[in-house]
Amino acid sequence: MKKIIVILIVTVLLLCTGWTASAADEIAVGAVTPLTGKLAVYGEGFQKAMLLALDEVNASGGINGKPMKIVFEDNNSTSKGSVSAIQKLITIHRFPVIFGPAASTNFLAVCPIAQQNQTILIGAESAAASISKCGSYVFRVFPSDLLQGIGVAELTEYLNYKEVVLTYINNDWGVGLADVFKEYFLKSGGKLIDEFAYDEGKTDYRSEILRIKKNSPRAVVNLTYIKEGATMLKQAYETKVEVQWLMGSAAKSPKLVELAGVAAEGVIGTYPTFSQDTSQYIAYKNGWEKKYPGQKTPIFGEYNYDMVKLTAEALKQTKSMSSSDIRNALMTASKGYVGATGDKTFDTNGDVGATYGRWTIKEGKITDYK
Amino acid sequence: MEYYAQLLLNGIIAGSIYALFAVGLTMVYGVFRFINFAHGELIAWGAYLALFFTRSPFYLPIYFAALPALLITALIGLAQDRFVFEPLRHGNRITLLIASIGLSYFLRNAIRLIWGSDLQTYGFMPTRGIDLAGLSITSAQITMMAAAILFLGILYIILAHTMLGKSLRAVADNMTLAQIMGITIKKVSLAVWVLASFFSAVGGVLLAVDTNLEPMMGLTNLLKAFAAVLLGGAGNVWGALLGGLIIGVAENLSVAFISPGYKDFISFALIILMLLFRPKGIFGILGGVR
Amino acid sequence: MDYLLHIFIVSLIYAIFAMSLNLELGFTGLYNFGHVAFFGIGAYTSALLSLAGHPVTLGMVCSMIVSGGMGALLAIPALRLTGDYFGIATLSFGEITRLFFLNERWLTKGPMGLPGIPRPTWIGEGVAGLPWFLIFCMLLTLVVFILTRHLTRSPFGRALKVVREDEYVAQALGKNALSFKIRAVTVGSILAGLAGSLWAHYISYISPADFTLTETILVLLCVVLGGRGTNWGPILGAFVIIFFQEIIRFLPIPADFDRFVAPIQGMVYGAVLIILMLKRPEGLLQEYKE
Repeated sequence: MKKIIVILIVTVLLLCTGWTASAADEIAVGAVTPLTGKLAVYGEGFQKAMLLALDEVNASGGINGKPMKIVFEDNNSTSKGSVSAIQKLITIHRFPVIFGPAASTNFLAVCPIAQQNQTILIGAESAAASISKCGSYVFRVFPSDLLQGIGVAELTEYLNYKEVVLTYINNDWGVGLADVFKEYFLKSGGKLIDEFAYDEGKTDYRSEILRIKKNSPRAVVNLTYIKEGATMLKQAYETKVEVQWLMGSAAKSPKLVELAGVAAEGVIGTYPTFSQDTSQYIAYKNGWEKKYPGQKTPIFGEYNYDMVKLTAEALKQTKSMSSSDIRNALMTASKGYVGATGDKTFDTNGDVGATYGRWTIKEGKITDYK
Repeated sequence: MEYYAQLLLNGIIAGSIYALFAVGLTMVYGVFRFINFAHGELIAWGAYLALFFTRSPFYLPIYFAALPALLITALIGLAQDRFVFEPLRHGNRITLLIASIGLSYFLRNAIRLIWGSDLQTYGFMPTRGIDLAGLSITSAQITMMAAAILFLGILYIILAHTMLGKSLRAVADNMTLAQIMGITIKKVSLAVWVLASFFSAVGGVLLAVDTNLEPMMGLTNLLKAFAAVLLGGAGNVWGALLGGLIIGVAENLSVAFISPGYKDFISFALIILMLLFRPKGIFGILGGVR
Repeated sequence: MDYLLHIFIVSLIYAIFAMSLNLELGFTGLYNFGHVAFFGIGAYTSALLSLAGHPVTLGMVCSMIVSGGMGALLAIPALRLTGDYFGIATLSFGEITRLFFLNERWLTKGPMGLPGIPRPTWIGEGVAGLPWFLIFCMLLTLVVFILTRHLTRSPFGRALKVVREDEYVAQALGKNALSFKIRAVTVGSILAGLAGSLWAHYISYISPADFTLTETILVLLCVVLGGRGTNWGPILGAFVIIFFQEIIRFLPIPADFDRFVAPIQGMVYGAVLIILMLKRPEGLLQEYKE
């Protein structure tokens, strides 16, 4: 019992002292990243991409001579963990800028906290449309679901599929996107033969595949992640379901091809377009290969990369380290800023625009669909 | 009709894997009377160790890579018992349970540390299914089923026809009495842990051949294994086998009628129904037959 | 020190949650592995009502009523089961509840969750409200503490302990064990509902992902670590565990090593649990045996 009390007292003391002081000769920002839990699969990639950008910023002189630093906090992939993590970053470290957690549910849980504390929160992979309304301190370099849902509906129309099966992963991203898709698709005269959500993180989707097969559609709109998407593609191939798969951006990853192999051939999807031929993207890709040889670029890695570089740009320009100054600097720095993922100019909601491109898989390579 | 037949077939395939997990879980429960939460991690470790041996510097084909993987998993199972469960055997059951939860955390995060959180595969390319009377099944699935049947057959022989099997059943029935009769608990517990880890590792490798590897793969399937164990009557090996099959089939058939979002609902609803109406499992009526 | 306030608030909410479980697990000996369901039902009830414009107080009261009602509804059939079986029935109930939150989108918005849950008007939103929220939580914790202490020291509480130690003795003494257990679960569920509703109003955003098995395990740990069957135990357990989780964030770790931090954290967490169970299974505080 005594020991416990001692430990508690020591912790409280630790919390109260020393830790707030970060070295004055560096510019530090925080990041809430899923390093454990179900999103850890993606979180590692985000972190690596951010670290790559950080290396590049520091190699070219840091923030006006001072090195930049990112302090990562794990959020356990949960909203509770995210809240704890951001509370720590805001009140202990007093970081003016924090990179928000992945998954819209987690992001939405922390954005009121950031807004109330006047801390800038930037997201690199949170797509929910409602994030636009989070407030003036919340930004994201990833386009809203709204745009992407319309993008998928347009793709379906363009390919002349009037009747499709709509299926989506049962999480915030899938449901959000499916709603927007449905609205636009039905409005423009499309018809849904069947519609169902499926569980996240399963290894067996054969019965779902059979449900698709039963309706023998020509095309299936499957709003899915990499893992679930790959498993479904593979199992559809095995069950000989011959349909045109239409997907969103979250599945667009070399990992999908690696996991699903030939089964991924011919998938068509939309993604926030950015040309992969730009010097910025090539620089990212080369940087990645140099820092992490032999590893594939992670999904949304380039958004995380852009987020860090754009923030560094804003930190260079800001008049002071107060959050309102940084916010203004972020707005000006973003104007016309072209990163690996294209134009990152923030609108008044802190959102970026995007035109949606189309991707397909041909001979095991992700290419633009023409 | 074909649709339902195919769902049934898929259910049987999924169920045979659940059965492999459940068999080990129920054996441990039968002898030691506690639910081992870390059982799921044995599944994952089996699969990851096999991955380890298919890669540099070993480059073993999966059939050979599975062998050392099974051995090492069995060692992990034994270590679980030696260092955690054995010292706690005479304590409170909840203590054992919590320790197994701790163990599960520990082992799962060790996988993360060594292999990372990313998805991995053994690198098989998907193959078209073979047509069998209008039903589609892949060669990997046939191999899986064959392996499952083979291993469960081995288990049958061990349990029904060896001295070891007899003493195992005796201990499960009444540990004190078995001790009085001269059965050494040490030997039995060794056998139980080796068999339980072995079967979960086999299941893990087969599951990973069929799908992917990820650190959570054990935990996700553990709940299904629980359901199977209960369905069959805790401690009943054949019950667990059948329970696994029933859960696999019920889950897969359910998709035809309800939203797949509720797929997991089936196994949980089955658990509750079974408990309320047949708390001794489907074989409860048969009493001592194990 | 808003961060410290935050940790204290979270700890207090978990203390209430843990005390509610302790009533069932510690005093009555019921392994409720689906306790998070009532936390979730409380959170959703309160959140939905206050989002519909009703006062927060009404939401909190209703959340207690709904959780308590659901608890009684579950308890009546499930309590015919004993020990582990009750545990697994409740575990299934917990998962079913989560699936309900996830799939009934018309009511709960499904995976999108419910953002913008207001706080009681006199507390105020944002950081400025934190000290007031802390005081509010402290008051409620105190009320719950006094209530449970009173309950467990009353003849009712002593009867619960008899039921825990030996149901047949309780029956022989003319106590209806089933009715006592049902009442214990109902009160436990009411208090869990209160904790859930506090959580919803504090965190301002809830989604089905917040009410998983992991939460049940966490609160189970609070109870067992603190000392089950004691009045102070759950509170101590909740503080130690929440603080432990947060302290890990402060370990000085070199930047290049970042990728390995999270898995090592998990491993440490698991190892601490195991060691605790091995060395001090009764928890930090021991139940006073008369």
